[in-house]
Amino acid sequence: MNTTLTTEPTARATPGRPTSLAAAATIWRKHVGKFLGNAEELFGVIVQPILWVVLFGVGMRSAVAIGAGAGDDYVGFMLPGIVALSAMGGAIGGGMVWLDERVRGIVREYLVAPVPRLSILLGNVGSTLTKSLVQAFVIFIVGMLMGAVVRGDVVSWLLALVLLVGYAAGFSGLALAVASITDDLMAYHSMIMLLNLPVLFLSSALYPLSALPTWMKVGALANPTTYLVEGMRGTVLGGSSDLPLLLSLAVTSAFAVLGVAIASRAFAAKTKRG
Amino acid sequence: MNPTAATRPPTKAAIEARGLGKTYPGGIEAVASLDLVVPRGSIYALLGPNGAGKTTAVSMLTTLATPTAGQAWIDGLDVVADAASVRRAIGVTFQETVLDDALTGRQVLEFHGRLYGQSLRERRRRADELLDLTELTDVASRKAKHYSGGMKRRLELARALMTVPSVLFLDEPTLGLDPQGRARIWDYVRALRRTSDLTVLVTTHYLDEAQQLADRVGIMDAGRLVVEGSPDALIDALGSDTIRVRGRGVDEALDPRFAEVEYVESFTRVEGGFLVGVDSASRRLADVISRAADAGFSIDDVSVAKPDLGAVFFQHTGRSLREGAPA
Repeated sequence: MNTTLTTEPTARATPGRPTSLAAAATIWRKHVGKFLGNAEELFGVIVQPILWVVLFGVGMRSAVAIGAGAGDDYVGFMLPGIVALSAMGGAIGGGMVWLDERVRGIVREYLVAPVPRLSILLGNVGSTLTKSLVQAFVIFIVGMLMGAVVRGDVVSWLLALVLLVGYAAGFSGLALAVASITDDLMAYHSMIMLLNLPVLFLSSALYPLSALPTWMKVGALANPTTYLVEGMRGTVLGGSSDLPLLLSLAVTSAFAVLGVAIASRAFAAKTKRG
Repeated sequence: MNPTAATRPPTKAAIEARGLGKTYPGGIEAVASLDLVVPRGSIYALLGPNGAGKTTAVSMLTTLATPTAGQAWIDGLDVVADAASVRRAIGVTFQETVLDDALTGRQVLEFHGRLYGQSLRERRRRADELLDLTELTDVASRKAKHYSGGMKRRLELARALMTVPSVLFLDEPTLGLDPQGRARIWDYVRALRRTSDLTVLVTTHYLDEAQQLADRVGIMDAGRLVVEGSPDALIDALGSDTIRVRGRGVDEALDPRFAEVEYVESFTRVEGGFLVGVDSASRRLADVISRAADAGFSIDDVSVAKPDLGAVFFQHTGRSLREGAPA
C-alpha cells in the first residue's frame, strides 16, 4: 500500500460534462465491445441470417411458382424480409441486454454518473442498430452469392440504409420499452414472441402485396415491416415495389420516432429517482 | 426540483443533511429526520440493524432517491437541485456487487472513466494506480466473472475511486467477505485517507471495523439517528466496564436502584434488559445483581464486557447488532 494516489484538485476537475452523445457512445461502445468479444453471440448473429437465406430462400425458390410481382428472383424477393426478421431479433437481443443490466443493478452505475438519462437509451438503441446493420450486410452478401439481383447506385443504398435504421430503431425502442416494464425474462420473451410471428408473416416479406387477400393486405399495410420490405425492393433490389418509396420512408421514420418515444417514456418511469 | 428553492448549506461540511426524510408511497417511513454533518477528510460510519434506513439515507445522498423531507448537500451542492454536480463529486459502491462481469477488470475501470468524460491519458493513469492500490494488476485483463468475491469488491472500490471523487460512499463494502478480505478493503481506505482529503461515508454492521476506522459513528434505528459521536467518546460514556443484564421485569422500579449509586457511571434500560457502566465489573457485579433482584427483576443472563461499540449499540437500540444483521 505504498501507492501514492493522485489527489491534486486538477485531476478531480474532469473537463466538461459528458454530453448526451458522448455518454451514449460510451454505452454503445461497451455493448458492441462485449458483442465482438463474445464468440457465441457473434457466431449466432451472423449464422442465423445465413441459414434463413440459404434454407428458406432455396427451399421456397424450388417450391413456389413465383406469382405476380416477385419476378423469378425469389431469393432477392425475400432478402428484405430476412433483414426485417434479423432487425427484430437484434431488437429483442438489445432489450435483453437492458433487462439484464436492470435486473442485475448495473444500471445504477449509470444512474449515479453525471450522464443524461436519454443517453442511456440512445446507447442501447445504437448498439442494437449496429448489430442489425452488420446482419443486413451479411444477408445481402449471402443473397448476392445465391444469385439475388442487387442494384448498385449509392443513392439507392443510402435510402435503403435510412429505411433499415428507421425500422430497426423503432423495434429496438419497442423492445427496450417492454424490457423497461417487466422484471422477468420469461414475461419479456412471451410479450416479444407475440409480436414476432405477425410481424413477418402478416407483411409482404414472403409474398407479394398484390397477391394477398384483402384482410391480409390491410394487416400488412398496418405493419411497418411491409414498408421496409417494399422500400428495399424499390431501391436496392431488382424487383419492383408495390408502394411509393416516399410512403415507405415516411412510415419507417415515423415508426422510429414512435418506438423511441415509447421507450423513452418507459425509461423515464424506470430510471426516475425512487 | 426547483433550483431557486435551494438554500445554502449551513456549514462547509463535505456531507450535510438537515431533517432529511424519505417516506415511500404507502406511508412507509424509511428515514424519519436525519441530521448529519461530516467534515471534509473524515471517515463517518453509519451503523444500524437491517431496515434502520441506512441504505435509503445513502441513496438520497447519492441522488438515487428523492427526499420527501429536508435537504442534503454534498460539498455544498444540493442533492436534488444540483444532482448532476453531486454525481460528478461522488464515488459510490453499492450494497450488492454491481459489476458488468463480462468485462475485464481494466475494462470496468476504463468504461467508468469514459462515462464520466475522462480523457484517455487520465483513464489509463488512474486505472493503473487503482489496480495497483487494490492489488488487482495481475488479474486486470481477466474477466470480472472469474474474480473471487473479495476481488470483485476491490474492483468496485477501484471503480468508485476512478473519477477522483471528493466524497466516497461505501454501502456495506465488506458484506460477505472473509476477515482477510475485509481487512484488505479497510487497508485501502486507510491508505487513501493518508494521502488525500477524501471524505468517506460507510455503512457497516461490523462494529469492530467502525471502531477502528471511523472518526465518527452514527447509530441509526427505525429511520432515526439515535446517537452520534467519536467511537471513543461513545464508549467512554458507558463507563470503564459494562455489565449487561438480560431478563424479565424491566420497568421504572429499576431506575432508583441505580440512581445516585457512587460506582455507577451509566445506566440504560433497554428492551429485555439493562446496561450498567461501572468502575470495575468484578467488584460491583454481585451488588448490581442484588439491586436488580430487589427491584423484582428476574435475571436470565449476565455478561461483562469492556465497553465497545457493540455495547453502545445495545445501549441505544436495545438490540445487539448481530440480531439485526443480515443473514
